[in-house]
Amino acid sequence: MSLWPRSYPPALAVASFALLPMAVLFLLASDADSFFLEHHLHLLSNTLLLTLGTVLGAMLIGIPLAILTSYVQLPLGALWLIVLAAPLALPSYIGAFTFYAAFGPGGEINNVFGIETPSASGLIGASIVMALYTYPFVLLTTRASILSQDASLINVARTLGMSLPRAIMSITLPRAMPAIATGSLLAALYAISDFGTPAILGVDTFTRDIYIEYNAFGLAKAAVLSIQLLCLVTLVLFLESLFRSEPGNTGQPLSICLKPLHITVVFLTVIPIALLAIMLPLAIFTLWLIRDGSGDFDYQIAWNSTYVSILAATFAVFLALPVAYAAIAGPVGRLFERVTYFGFGIPGIVMGTALVYLSLQLPALYQTLAILVAAYVLRFLPLAVGTVRASAENIDSSMTKAARILGAGPLEVFHRVLLPLTMRGVVAGGALVFLESMRELPATLLLSPAGFETLATYLWRVYEAGYFGRAAIPGLLLVVMSGFGLALLLMGERRAEFGLTNKK
Amino acid sequence: MHRRQFLCSISAAGALITLPSFSSSDQKNSVEDLPALEGKLTLYLGRGEGGLYENVLTAIESRNRNLELNIRRGPTAALANAIVAESKAGVQRADLFWAVDSGAIGLMNAEGLSQPIPQDLLSQLKPKFRYTNWAPITGRIRTIPFNTTRIKSTDIPNDIMSLPESGLSIGWAPAYASFQSFVTAMRIIEGEDATSDWLRRVKKTAKSYAGELSVVMGVERGEIDIGFANHYYCLRLKAGKPEATVDLAFTKNDAGCLVNVSGVVALSDKDLSTNFIRYLHTLEVQSYLAHEAYEIPLIEGIAQPHGIPPLDSISPPQIDLTRLSDLNPTLELMRKTGVL
Repeated sequence: MSLWPRSYPPALAVASFALLPMAVLFLLASDADSFFLEHHLHLLSNTLLLTLGTVLGAMLIGIPLAILTSYVQLPLGALWLIVLAAPLALPSYIGAFTFYAAFGPGGEINNVFGIETPSASGLIGASIVMALYTYPFVLLTTRASILSQDASLINVARTLGMSLPRAIMSITLPRAMPAIATGSLLAALYAISDFGTPAILGVDTFTRDIYIEYNAFGLAKAAVLSIQLLCLVTLVLFLESLFRSEPGNTGQPLSICLKPLHITVVFLTVIPIALLAIMLPLAIFTLWLIRDGSGDFDYQIAWNSTYVSILAATFAVFLALPVAYAAIAGPVGRLFERVTYFGFGIPGIVMGTALVYLSLQLPALYQTLAILVAAYVLRFLPLAVGTVRASAENIDSSMTKAARILGAGPLEVFHRVLLPLTMRGVVAGGALVFLESMRELPATLLLSPAGFETLATYLWRVYEAGYFGRAAIPGLLLVVMSGFGLALLLMGERRAEFGLTNKK
Repeated sequence: MHRRQFLCSISAAGALITLPSFSSSDQKNSVEDLPALEGKLTLYLGRGEGGLYENVLTAIESRNRNLELNIRRGPTAALANAIVAESKAGVQRADLFWAVDSGAIGLMNAEGLSQPIPQDLLSQLKPKFRYTNWAPITGRIRTIPFNTTRIKSTDIPNDIMSLPESGLSIGWAPAYASFQSFVTAMRIIEGEDATSDWLRRVKKTAKSYAGELSVVMGVERGEIDIGFANHYYCLRLKAGKPEATVDLAFTKNDAGCLVNVSGVVALSDKDLSTNFIRYLHTLEVQSYLAHEAYEIPLIEGIAQPHGIPPLDSISPPQIDLTRLSDLNPTLELMRKTGVL
């Protein structure tokens, strides 16, 4: 019997940790009488269609933007990436609500500009809005993978007469497939478990029933329905696992300089996306700010959000590393990796309550910062696991073997070979966890220390009360602080780049 | 003079307040007569009322420098579940739970977590709103918001049961907790069969919305003639947009004009907890919430919010509000009729 790969024991520990809330969910569900609704089939088809629409939309926006931000030298550089990733920090109900308020007859666009727009509603409207708030999953995972590919393959193809777009299509993208699939998986899990967007835009999905039961104090039934939802999560996990690629060499990424005319064209296509996903909500809130006036705002809140999110991102990538390496090491490790995803498919409010039960096992830590960060890590671990694994998959195992033959110990191999080569995935994973933590609401409300408020909880508070003008400043700060956090993470990436290549 | 200071401290917290005038005979419920609050108190606040509730709580804190008030805000159901989880684990964090929903209060009662309310505190409330183990704070009325450019108030029947036959287009939010409480009231008053029948008839033409604010916005935008919603959404919408083409109509003596309340449950038997509730029942706080949040005061002798007729001229149905927590049969009816 062969020895377990070294990454297995820590990966097993992390996977067990990730499964704890699921165990609580099963315990809560055991209180329910047998419970199944006939009209679930109709809800199931809506959920599936919305998930499909969201994933297609997120890929359609995310992949081109990933190519753009990794290959093309744009003026203002990394600022574009920061702006384009920021929609992930805006709570989806805020996005959906502003879309609902802006579009359609009698909407704000109609009021201000007198232009009649179709209303944002139904399956198509919800898919578009959801795609606008999930494409950064695809953008960040795909970009991390593209940047770790060696551009010399593309250069060879172009020397042999292949056009650049064709070279990207047939060389870059196939090798980025696992990363694209991972990003899409995360977008799909988000679409499956989100409640706000489909509810506001009038699509009845599975989560609506979960919320109805939850709000009617049927926690056990809500848990049963959430577990039923996991069948869908399993299906999505299976589909994603079909995308694997051959490992290739890593090396210097491609760098393209565009003519000013091309840059203009690029901006004209990119700007509307940023405009819709970030500027529209902020503009609508500003309109309401002018109309209703703003309240007092305590700027400490913005810092609260930022530093818990940075803590969560740091711990999450740390725990994600062994799981990601285990996933590559063998089928058992692969299983460890898969189970960490389940939590991300559970609707937030049910997950929040499961985490309350879990953290009450350690009463001394209940409602402390430590528990809050642990809750974020538990909820968003899959974001880090997915991205790290996708970029680690590209590493040719001959690299690590060569290092071992040359006398490096396992730790040195990890430190000098494996980690630098997966650094881009680590940074991207950290960025995803950071952005999701910025907008996390249910667990924050229930588990944060007394008196601790974040931008997301403040936004929720004023939104619930209907004082939308007061959402303008925290909404803007959410975007600014996300940019700040992303910039920090990208500095880490640049340092890794520096270590890997000698240029720059 | 002292009252002015209380209000100044509210103003200092950031809200611009214009106060309803008080008659001097109503002094007995003033904050002046209350004992000072001292010690630690944790409040679970089951709603997110922007700055208004904050202003009330800040004002209470600034009057009572020795009060250390911790507030945890969240959706009512999530906080109720957290309180149940805490009690199962033998952890007590919340001294008070302020819930928007009488359903949540029912859950606290069913779990045996609520402490009795002192008699003198109950006697300040309007007689219809006295309960032994929880204290109502403010009320909200079920209303029919209507679009003033499309129809007149006289076009709307004053009987909720005959509304589906009025030929008006209707908007509703079946997944919304307030709406479900309203259907529960109808089920208790009219019986299951009549309620199922009513749900089926409305469903034929109704347009569904996610929440009741959206229903009111839908009415204002002219997507529908009328809707079902709590009264304050309309009043708040008009506060921000005075030219809004929406107004409120009321039915008579049926579930359509149910008065539901938000309430506080004391979870610990500290005097501090009940004394805190006394502050929420003062003239100052009740008037402020009526005037600024358009909530209906439940203490005698305090003016109604602008924009709705006096509570006495509305004829709400007689119903024990804690019975509204019996939501399961309502959800079953709503599912059976395909509304949910």
